[in-house]
Amino acid sequence: MNPSDAGLGPARRIVRHGLALSLLGLVGLAGVYVLALGFTPTEARQGLAQKIFYLHVPAAWSALLAFSLVGLASILYLWLQDPRLDRFAAASANAGVAFSAVMLTTGPIWAKPIWGTWWTWDARLTLTLFLFFLFVGYLALRAAVHDPAERARFSAVVGILGMLLVPFIHLSVYLFRTLHPQPIVLKPSAPSLPPEMLRTLLISFAVFTVLYLGFVMTRYGLALAEELQEETRNAG
Amino acid sequence: MLADPPSNGEYMIAAYLVTTVILVGYWLRLWQKARKV
Repeated sequence: MNPSDAGLGPARRIVRHGLALSLLGLVGLAGVYVLALGFTPTEARQGLAQKIFYLHVPAAWSALLAFSLVGLASILYLWLQDPRLDRFAAASANAGVAFSAVMLTTGPIWAKPIWGTWWTWDARLTLTLFLFFLFVGYLALRAAVHDPAERARFSAVVGILGMLLVPFIHLSVYLFRTLHPQPIVLKPSAPSLPPEMLRTLLISFAVFTVLYLGFVMTRYGLALAEELQEETRNAG
Repeated sequence: MLADPPSNGEYMIAAYLVTTVILVGYWLRLWQKARKV
């Protein structure tokens, strides 16, 4: 038996486990909907639109976590040259783009009734949009370069540059004038939220983290399986 | 006395629908790819 065929079994297992984990995350997401809409009080000044918060903030968390880990894995890849790190970085970037899409669509939908505008070109929103474009570019670059070592090296550099934007995005609400509210959970002092709202938010954070892990695991397994199939084709 | 909260439920529904479409759509795409390997 070709050694590449022998590796396909574990790769498929990773894919199956990843799909199951992300499906569990989607069931959890349905639970978050029920909790947020049925069992969490409506904020007095913002009304029902405030409940977008339970999706927008955890999606932002998952996106920024994903892009930070792309950068860390990329640094480690350039140092250790381990293809697993490159595969993980690509999987994390892919999931990060999906979560960014949630963040960048729910944000304007929330902004319209509260700020009176869908979008404003302030530092937080503009940097977040740039980060999204940067990682779409990262994925386009990966699709365009066929040599695996070159692809991994080039994309690692872009991944590290993308990670450098993350702290600026988090701190932009302190550094620049902006309509965007300041952090209410990820800040040095205690979270400033009523307990029921904080509970729903923390559960949503957990669900979005499970979704991130499931998506990354599936993407990683798929990339591994595709590499092994390519090797088998080349050997044949 | 507190004023009634503003009625803007349609924005909330839109955001929940968009999130569902993106995340379930992403999962379905992965599932479709997984069937080919």
